[in-house]
Amino acid sequence: MKKVAKKEIYKILSQWRKDFTVFAPSREGGVAGMAVWDGKDTGFLDWYRNTVVPPKNSFLLNMEKLFDFHKENDGYKLAVPAPEKPRLIFGIRPCDAKAMAMIDMVFKDTYEDSYYLSKRRNTLLVGLGCTNPYDSCFCTSLGFDGPTDSADVDLMLIDSGEDFLIEEVTDRGKELMAKTKGTAEATQNDENKAKKAKEAAVQKVTRKIDIKEIKEKFPASFENEALWESLAAKCVSCGICTFLCPTCYCFDINDEASRGNGARYRNWDSCSFPLYTKMPMENPREEKWRRVRQKVHHKYTFYPKLFDIIACTGCGRCIRLCPVNWDITQTLTKASAKATGTEK
Amino acid sequence: MAISDISHRQKYLAEGNVYLPHIVVIEKIIEETPTVMTFHFNFKDKKLREEFTFASGQFGEYSIFGIGEATFCISSSPTRRDHLEFAVQRVGTVTNALHRLGVGAEIGFRGPFGNSFPLGELKGKNLVFVGGGIGLAPLRSLIWNVLDNRAKYGEIQIIYGARSPRDLCFKYDLEAWGKDKTVKMTTTIDRAAEGWTGNVGVVPKVLEQAAPSPKSAAAIVCGPPIMIRYTFPVLEKLGFKPEQMLTTLEKRMKCGIGKCGRCNIGDIYVCRDGPVFSFAQIKGFFSDEY
Amino acid sequence: MSETEKKLREEAKALLEQGRVDYIVGYEPGSLKFTTTPLITKDKDDVDRLVISPFMTNNLSVFLTELEGKVGIVARGCDSRSIVSLIQDKQLTRDNVFIIGVPCAGVIDMGKIERLTGKDRDEIDNIAWEGDKAVATIGGNKKEFAAKEVIMDDCLGCDTPIPQEYDILLEAAGPLACDKELSRRRIKELEEMPPEKRWEFWKNEFGRCIRCYACRQVCPACFCKRCFVEETEPPWLSPLPRWQDNLIFQMTRIIHVAGRCTDCGACELACPVRIPLRSLSKKMEEIVEELFHYKAGADKAAPPLMASYEAEEAEDFIR
Repeated sequence: MKKVAKKEIYKILSQWRKDFTVFAPSREGGVAGMAVWDGKDTGFLDWYRNTVVPPKNSFLLNMEKLFDFHKENDGYKLAVPAPEKPRLIFGIRPCDAKAMAMIDMVFKDTYEDSYYLSKRRNTLLVGLGCTNPYDSCFCTSLGFDGPTDSADVDLMLIDSGEDFLIEEVTDRGKELMAKTKGTAEATQNDENKAKKAKEAAVQKVTRKIDIKEIKEKFPASFENEALWESLAAKCVSCGICTFLCPTCYCFDINDEASRGNGARYRNWDSCSFPLYTKMPMENPREEKWRRVRQKVHHKYTFYPKLFDIIACTGCGRCIRLCPVNWDITQTLTKASAKATGTEK
Repeated sequence: MAISDISHRQKYLAEGNVYLPHIVVIEKIIEETPTVMTFHFNFKDKKLREEFTFASGQFGEYSIFGIGEATFCISSSPTRRDHLEFAVQRVGTVTNALHRLGVGAEIGFRGPFGNSFPLGELKGKNLVFVGGGIGLAPLRSLIWNVLDNRAKYGEIQIIYGARSPRDLCFKYDLEAWGKDKTVKMTTTIDRAAEGWTGNVGVVPKVLEQAAPSPKSAAAIVCGPPIMIRYTFPVLEKLGFKPEQMLTTLEKRMKCGIGKCGRCNIGDIYVCRDGPVFSFAQIKGFFSDEY
Repeated sequence: MSETEKKLREEAKALLEQGRVDYIVGYEPGSLKFTTTPLITKDKDDVDRLVISPFMTNNLSVFLTELEGKVGIVARGCDSRSIVSLIQDKQLTRDNVFIIGVPCAGVIDMGKIERLTGKDRDEIDNIAWEGDKAVATIGGNKKEFAAKEVIMDDCLGCDTPIPQEYDILLEAAGPLACDKELSRRRIKELEEMPPEKRWEFWKNEFGRCIRCYACRQVCPACFCKRCFVEETEPPWLSPLPRWQDNLIFQMTRIIHVAGRCTDCGACELACPVRIPLRSLSKKMEEIVEELFHYKAGADKAAPPLMASYEAEEAEDFIR
């Protein structure tokens, strides 16, 4: 395992910047997000916990051009955007990386979504294990290694105090490290420190759910309408939980044109919005409780049916940022307890 | 379970890109009713024009560049390949824009998407087609498909209705099927209208009166949701089992390929696992939100 | 639990038990530190969870247009004006609401606390009012702040601290600090910017907008079943989150709620990317005050601002 001093990380990022567009945590307007690294700022080492908008924004963009169209004399001509320079996302948390692997399952299934998948293939993920999880995080309940899980990144950095220890996870990660100068070999002492740091991070995650109970009992709660009516009462049907959820992927497709020329784009959409399922004559999810029920069951019941995995990584953004503090962990616990009843 | 065999689905993708439409040209426009038009179209690309094929029940995503895309079934039969057809009811932005097109206009087409009517299972059976309003569009693809291979199927009965004589779609088909001696054709309208000498009564009622036998039969039902909801119980009463009843579900769709999430019901995407479903499958849906 | 909280729970319980209301809508402690969450219930046992807290960050009247039946609602000064405004817009009848007026010492702005302490919300042990000071405990150490350093800007400029419209008033008390100038500090900064600089500022802010519509959904004045954003024939603006369209969305929304906005701050608190929306909505209301001498939710018998016309109104814009 290699290591690099935290205060030297900018040297590594600068090298990577030559071959990749490097994204790193930044704080514009007081809001943490991933932005193109400016070449020098490493202030994130002090304040970075997790971003508000998840890194899914780099793969399933909130505004993505699908193609241009031009009206010429002999008819319409369509043009797909050119491929981008390879990218590297520095500092992605395990919950967000795992979520990308989950979204991959949908975007590869039956038809391949070339826009999303080409971005995924084109991007290297350099993960950063957590040292300071939020009180809204509950990743350790979901059956993976939690705040330092390295399964879905190319390189995993573990904060051991003064240094980052660099785990090489994939071949692409190994290749990158082979070309990167300025790292040292980690000592046994370093590896012990890393192990301790991993354990400490897991301990810091205090919010927990009983995933076994939920897997068993939650799906049956679908039928309990009265329960969902009461659980959904305070939701205001905005898009915050779904937009900021790293595993949510619903999108809309819209055209824009002026005098026959323009482009087709896709943008984020949400099953929470009242008009999401509206058809000319009817709206199957007119009532708010249906939409709230759909959102939770899609992640905890339907996705497991399709892909054998719960589409939630416990990042906690939905809890932290919901304007009415609607809490999915409370909902799951309550619904699992009352699943087979008919009262709320 | 997720569908992993995608080979047959990838055949007609433009540049391997599932969101990129092919350019097609409108060749003929038929005004079926004051709100419904049928468009005949063909691919601009000669090779595609010759090679393209689809199965009855499948749909396409049709775009007007600059306005948007909408989902319509391919209403022509795969046995009649000189052109393709789709029928549009005017209800919103895209459909209104489609209605304003003229012959020669170029639009986008993505498809064919979705599953199709299980022809193999219908072989040798007596077929009862029940349609309402524009619901005849997907049915007619199957009906012509079946009639063009008449010997493979048993008795054929078609019950079709609309609100009024003006709202009857595909009148030329109704005439042709009425003349076909191997087909029992019943056309009805909801309420009596001046000058109409045919059947009067809503489709489920007329079906009940016609009382087709469920023996070795399959019923294919397509129409507005309310008609379907009243038709299935009638068929059940007549002795049809849920596996013998087929329909196509309409849901708001955008991508057509099981990704954008809009048509999701439980673990099913109507665009990818449907739109053709048997009533037995629908009964097994996780939710009734369709 | 304070005396007032005790009275609140008793009153709410009595209302439900006696069948005088179908629902009680109030605040209960949230699942995260220093948060509250709306409590909407028909069950009289749930009302034991009702609180009056420095972290009441929602305008509960937003739920009134979707609940059927008579609703007993906890309302601060700003909330009660929102309720009156809804009555003026004929979205509610006065008989269908039982307004429980509560005191509000001012909502503590967690953003201000985070900036002053340099800590995130979950790294602070406790925050409480001690007299007119806010005391934050971090790792055992206490830090004191004057009320006006930590109260939300809206609350600093609050001009109806005591609900004017109520069925029962539990206690007549208002914010612990009042500083009209301080409450306008950010607006003043913007007013003093030259137009190009102001444009750059808003272009930057709205570049972060993700069109989650939380601002619209938490606002009681936004009660339209179909928002202008969802109109497609013709489309008013693009659904794509370009800063231009995001700006148009917010500008139009704020003009639409002119005369209804009570400066409750729910929009700005809801925004996940911290766009300073209140600077726009408060400025709008100042313009409304200046042009029409009108205040939202002051008189339930008065017609809504945009639905009324006075002969003396300025017509200098008509040329």
